[in-house]
Amino acid sequence: MKINQQTTENTLTLSLDGELDASSSVLLDSELTKPEVLDYKKVLIDCQRLNYISSAGLGVFISHLQRFQDANVKLVFFNMQEKVHNVFEILGLDALMTIVPSEAEATAL
Amino acid sequence: MPFRQKLKAIVLPFTVLSWLILLISTLLQASPEAAARVGLPPEWVTLLAQAAFVAGVFIYQRSQPDPLRGTDFVGLLRRLVLGPGVLATVCVALHLAERLIQYEHPTTDRLLFAGIYTINLALFVIFLAYTNYSWRSLVLFRSTARLRRDWLWFEVLLGTTLLFRLFAWTPPMPVAYFIMGGLAVFGVYLSGNQKWVAYLNRRQKWEVVFLQLALLLCLGIFTIYFLRIAKDPKLVAPEPQHAFLLLTVFFASFYSLAGLLVTFFNLPTAGVFEQKREEILSLQRLTQLIQKGQSEEEVYQMLFEAAIQTVEADAAWLDIETEGELHMAQRFNVSEEHVQAIRVLLTDYNLGQIEYLNNDLPNSSGFRNLELPYGSLIVMPMRSAKRQYGSLYMLKEQRQGFDRENLGMLQTFTSQTVLSIENLQLVAASIQNERVKEELKIASSVQDSLIPKDLPIDNWFEIGSHALAAKEVGGDFYDFLHLPGKRLAILIGDVSGKGITAAFHMAQMKGIFHALMQENPLAKNEREKFPVPSKFMAMANQALTHCLEKSSFITAALYIVDYEHGGFVFARAGHCHTLYYHSIKEEVSYFRTAGLGLGIIRNDSYEKHIKNQFYDYNPGDVMVIYTDGIVEARGAGQEEYGEERLKQQLEHTYYLEADEIKQHILDDLNEFSKGQPMHDDQTLLVIKFKAAQPEATN
Repeated sequence: MKINQQTTENTLTLSLDGELDASSSVLLDSELTKPEVLDYKKVLIDCQRLNYISSAGLGVFISHLQRFQDANVKLVFFNMQEKVHNVFEILGLDALMTIVPSEAEATAL
Repeated sequence: MPFRQKLKAIVLPFTVLSWLILLISTLLQASPEAAARVGLPPEWVTLLAQAAFVAGVFIYQRSQPDPLRGTDFVGLLRRLVLGPGVLATVCVALHLAERLIQYEHPTTDRLLFAGIYTINLALFVIFLAYTNYSWRSLVLFRSTARLRRDWLWFEVLLGTTLLFRLFAWTPPMPVAYFIMGGLAVFGVYLSGNQKWVAYLNRRQKWEVVFLQLALLLCLGIFTIYFLRIAKDPKLVAPEPQHAFLLLTVFFASFYSLAGLLVTFFNLPTAGVFEQKREEILSLQRLTQLIQKGQSEEEVYQMLFEAAIQTVEADAAWLDIETEGELHMAQRFNVSEEHVQAIRVLLTDYNLGQIEYLNNDLPNSSGFRNLELPYGSLIVMPMRSAKRQYGSLYMLKEQRQGFDRENLGMLQTFTSQTVLSIENLQLVAASIQNERVKEELKIASSVQDSLIPKDLPIDNWFEIGSHALAAKEVGGDFYDFLHLPGKRLAILIGDVSGKGITAAFHMAQMKGIFHALMQENPLAKNEREKFPVPSKFMAMANQALTHCLEKSSFITAALYIVDYEHGGFVFARAGHCHTLYYHSIKEEVSYFRTAGLGLGIIRNDSYEKHIKNQFYDYNPGDVMVIYTDGIVEARGAGQEEYGEERLKQQLEHTYYLEADEIKQHILDDLNEFSKGQPMHDDQTLLVIKFKAAQPEATN
């Protein structure tokens, strides 16, 4: 699992590359836990290269969901593969989180 | 050894006989009157008897068992001095007695003189033989094959010199010198083998020195006696086997002298040798003891005692570090104040954690001010690659008390100790590990008891079930509950994560299920007596709010089947979609309903995210409910089993019994994920609805 960061003035984009399982979700968690993350207006998660997400990976997003909402930071997923999207959908997360098809749409939000 | 026994049995009487012949012939020669009566024996008889006796004694001695027992060199020498030494005393006593008689009754009769001479000759020969073969044991102690061969040659060559006299052949002067000189040199060469001296300790060396002196004295007494006798006008006997005896005496004395000198010059170094030996022995002892050490305290104590003994410290203490705290584990002859003062000083100089040797404390700044009664200090830290275990401090009153070797020895001691400590810790860890495994086994069986074993049986439906945890305990669960009015509640779920935490939440869910599915006595109407699935989920979500950690969630689905009316209602809280075979439509599909997992939203708004779904079933319909361990099982290429393949399986098997359908799916799943590790718990329930049959016909 690799996490690449890209920042603009208001946006933090994290590109996830590989499988988000129990061990790599610790990595993601420490990224998202950083206090400066809340300084951005939007946190975009690029899921193009995310091949698999385990329940531990989902747990990371879930645990930060409330914190982001409270800080008024938008969490947006884009470029999500079909099978990963399916996992979000089954759990009902698609109703809670913003998942859009492309980066353009994500930045436009 | 039968041959040796046989040889001894022959040699002994033969030797005694030769000596008797020798005695008689000597006496005859000494007494002309007797000789006149019986006749004088020819000279060759005397010579032959003499040679035979000497050879016999040596051969007999040679066939005796090795006089050296183990490495008891002192014992060997003691026996040598006490046994044959007595012979020398006898020799002197006889000689003196003869002189006394001569003095009291002067006579020209040579009979007594000749008799005593012959006896003394025999004693001398026995003494020489005994000494020589004792020396052989010492020379050949831990010897090489070559040395043993050399010794054999020495014996053979010595033996040949016996023949000189026998054949009355006196080699011409230069040849004689050459032969004698050569053999003497050979003897000197063999005398160089004094390896055994190294095995003596100081006390034994002193003992050996005195024993060797006593032995040389014995040899001297004999030699002087024979030298004096040779000039005595009364001597009528033929000369003894000069060449042989001379060489043997020479070898015996030279070896003894060489041994004496070697031992003597080794005396000053004996102390050092002994110390080294003691060090090695105590290291060995420590190694053995330490392995027997049952606890860390025992091991430290052994180290401490062995270290003090080995470096001969006057005072010492041992600091042990446990969880970052330093405390004194052992103390010897040193006051707490001094310990504290030295510790503070070493910490100030930043020397607390390193090997440190100071042999001149009274002249070192810092230490001088402490006015310690010690002159030398060693600090030896105990550490492994992983951590620091503490330090060993050794003190001596005199300056220059320790040397580099002490440091090396202590280093070996401490590393051995650390090794043992770590071994003990490993053993402890593995015992702990065993215990945890044992507890996991218990947890596993407890959890197993939470999974319903007796599936509900009714003629309205069939259920096939399968549950398998990836680890000892898992996070999957399912349960059944009969409700009044021909209703059955079926709960399936999955706690995120695996292992013990998941197992706890799973048990919690089961508790929540049984608690919430109780009849509400305050209910206003029939419908409200039991919570509908969506209500159940909302209440469960509420119940879980405070006990589920933030990043954990639970997916669940609750089905309440009303088989009186042929319908069911269910709510899906983020759980896998239900796979369903519609017998009327002859079609397999998933109920794709919305619904959020439990524990994701932890407030009242959860209720908005969960819905009930009603469905009227028909006989022959099949419902497949499962956990994600089934659809996310990996194949050889890391691809997932997937909903599609599961659906196909049902399309092929819907007409079978519930158990058979379950088995078909599992077989296909196992075929798919053959050789792959199991990532997640797997649970699979197959429910087949049947046409209602009157109970009477059952």
